[in-house]
Amino acid sequence: MAARWQGILAVTALLAATLAASPFVLGDYAQQILAQAFFFAIAAITVDLLWGYTGVLTFGQSAFFGIGVYTVALALAYYVEGPLATAGAIVVAMAAAALVGAAVGWLAFFDRASPIYAAIVTLALPVVFTQIILSGGTYTGSSSGLPIPAPNLSVAQWFWISGGLLLLVTVGAYVLVTSDAGRILVAIRENEDRCRYLGLRTSRLKIGLMAVCSAVAALAGAFYVLFGSVAAHNYGDFTFGTEMVVWTALGGRGTLVGPILGTIGINYVSAVLGGNLPFVWLLFVGFAFVLVVVYLPQGVVPALASAVSRVVRSLAETRRQALARPAAPPASLRALPRANGAATTASEDGPVLELRGVSKRFGSLRVLEGVSLEARRGEVVGIVGPNGAGKTTLLRCIADGREQSSGEVRVGGRRIDGLPPQECVALGVSRKFQTPNVFDALTVLDCLRVARTYRTPASPWRRSRTLELPEPALHAVEVSGLVPLLNEPAGHLSHGAKQALELAMVLALEPTVLLLDEPTAGLTRDERAAIGSVLRELAQGHRLCLLLIEHDLDFVREISTRLVVLHQGKILLDGPLAEVADSELVRTIYIGGKP
Amino acid sequence: MIAIQALEGGYGESPVLRGVALDVPSGEIFAILGKNGMGKTTLLKTIMGLLPAKQGRVELLGQDVTGWPPYRITRLGVSYVPQEKSIFQDLTVEENLRLALRDGVSFDARLETIARWFPVLKARRQQRAGTLSGGEQKMLLIGRALLTRPRLVLVDEITEGLQPAIITRLTEVLVEERRAHGLTVVLVEQNVGFALALADRYAVLKGGAVVETGRASDAGAREHVERHLVI
Repeated sequence: MAARWQGILAVTALLAATLAASPFVLGDYAQQILAQAFFFAIAAITVDLLWGYTGVLTFGQSAFFGIGVYTVALALAYYVEGPLATAGAIVVAMAAAALVGAAVGWLAFFDRASPIYAAIVTLALPVVFTQIILSGGTYTGSSSGLPIPAPNLSVAQWFWISGGLLLLVTVGAYVLVTSDAGRILVAIRENEDRCRYLGLRTSRLKIGLMAVCSAVAALAGAFYVLFGSVAAHNYGDFTFGTEMVVWTALGGRGTLVGPILGTIGINYVSAVLGGNLPFVWLLFVGFAFVLVVVYLPQGVVPALASAVSRVVRSLAETRRQALARPAAPPASLRALPRANGAATTASEDGPVLELRGVSKRFGSLRVLEGVSLEARRGEVVGIVGPNGAGKTTLLRCIADGREQSSGEVRVGGRRIDGLPPQECVALGVSRKFQTPNVFDALTVLDCLRVARTYRTPASPWRRSRTLELPEPALHAVEVSGLVPLLNEPAGHLSHGAKQALELAMVLALEPTVLLLDEPTAGLTRDERAAIGSVLRELAQGHRLCLLLIEHDLDFVREISTRLVVLHQGKILLDGPLAEVADSELVRTIYIGGKP
Repeated sequence: MIAIQALEGGYGESPVLRGVALDVPSGEIFAILGKNGMGKTTLLKTIMGLLPAKQGRVELLGQDVTGWPPYRITRLGVSYVPQEKSIFQDLTVEENLRLALRDGVSFDARLETIARWFPVLKARRQQRAGTLSGGEQKMLLIGRALLTRPRLVLVDEITEGLQPAIITRLTEVLVEERRAHGLTVVLVEQNVGFALALADRYAVLKGGAVVETGRASDAGAREHVERHLVI
């Protein structure tokens, strides 16, 4: 951890020194252009945080930049003067932008909104903003702009201010994205549904991030108008918002450095060339954008970085003896001290899961019809039935209170009607999906860390090296051979390894009701046996209630205590394992008979 | 039908296949077995052109297809049944099936054949495919792959999530298609019992290379395979 902070400090100091020295080398014109580009780059960073890291495509950051511009401009033009009041106006601008940002987030990120919805809402925002400014008459300066009394600072001073602000925001953003919380942003981008089923309130997180990013964009706008001394509506319009997206994409989204270099590069070259060849230059930027999107879809900076790393690697290859391979990082998983039994004894007696008359319809299709079921702690309830019997739908109705069409589901005595998955997690339900559902871009360790966030909140600035997992989750990681793969991206794992990883992630939530949809599909017989012993221990040792969908009757026999047969949406049989498994009914509808 | 030489490939920078060599004659049912993470799925994807081959050569039906895009390989008469369910969720079952055929002429007759194998697909032909259960989606996948009457089909872990009765049906379907049309089948399987019962020959992948091949009917084949599957 210390190494990380030392690195950040060293790079920051180096960049600060470069900034401080630059005015003695660069001419006035270059400084002027760079100062402007630095302000824009701050706004581009917020686009990168939202789009590159979290996956929220936004065209609206210009509107927040514009809120910064006009709040300060109006304050100085009509109401206040002096440095202290100016600082106050900047703070007000940031607060206003944060409020608007939170409101936009609230509109755009409700639970079942598709990602394109956020893009459209943020697209509308700059249009609304521009209309307000244009219809403001002489008060806002309408289309001719609003001049303000600017502070009397030299070009070099502005260069330092803008560069300093950019440096500050960059370091802040870097600390955030490399922190434990930063991984949650990527996890949301990769698979928001899985995040919800891990108990993360993703909508709330995105609204919070939107508010912070809006405030930062407003900060850039507020300083920018002091620097430029005239407020113009095009600093809040849709074109500017789109340009930020283009800069971010060209430089390389999800890299921080990419958007900064993209913004500075395009603005600098455009100022130098744009004066002489205004139209040709725009054409050129357009072409560059198309080329980058087609040939370097990740952007310029990641492409350069991978080229450099390839060169470095081939150099290393030729001198393999000289360069030792990087040592494997030390094992970074630890077992959580076993919880005292107090929590588990509380509601030991009654059923922890109760379903009464649960039905589910898709249009005219009835998938579940009047399913009633009770399950207690320590039970492993195997659910079998032909394909299409409604098994997965049944689990879905327990993990998401909004799924059932009618009926009643209680977890630990509480009804879950209408509760979204993240609230069901809070009641102790966790669900493993049928097809493995992990965060492909994150490493195995980080997937587990994100899963653990529900129990141990992630810090927005610290990066922890070790991860404490509850014993069953750790056990699942160990028996499935994931330990040597902890630093591999989850997307590179085989199907079976992903299954095991998802199981471990779900166990990291320390659930009381565990819903498993074919947990061993794609595993070898030995891995199956190992996972089987983990599951048995969960029920017996940790007193969990397990619901298990499985087609492998031998596996079900080995670990279940009870068997439920589901057929065409109804429970046909429900009883002790031995009785049901050998019944005639199971044989006819399931194993031997006509499907 | 398939001739693979010294094939290397994988995802991004990390190699998964390290010199795979394999020959599958026409009309054979061939099983690829091995532990998780040994490169079975990667091998199928590389044969299909979904992943680039870094080294080596893939020959299908007598043509060198190394470097070909997937759609060209498909047009040779090769079908692929991926492990991750890749149906069109928002299209109906029938639309999913129709998309597989480039000419619509023989669709109805072919649909009848599919319906004989998996009645549920015909019963639900107007239903959105995304609302099928996991196992039904698998049936749709295999139905779609066989609808075109391919000469070669690559099947990735089809038995996962299927009820035993359907697995039995599937075995019958593949054997029948081979007898009637000379279909060649390559299976990647975790279910060793199913694979050896169905296949003529098998290969075990380990560390991205073939470490063992044999005839499925050989005495002790199962022990040979399972020796490699121990954790």
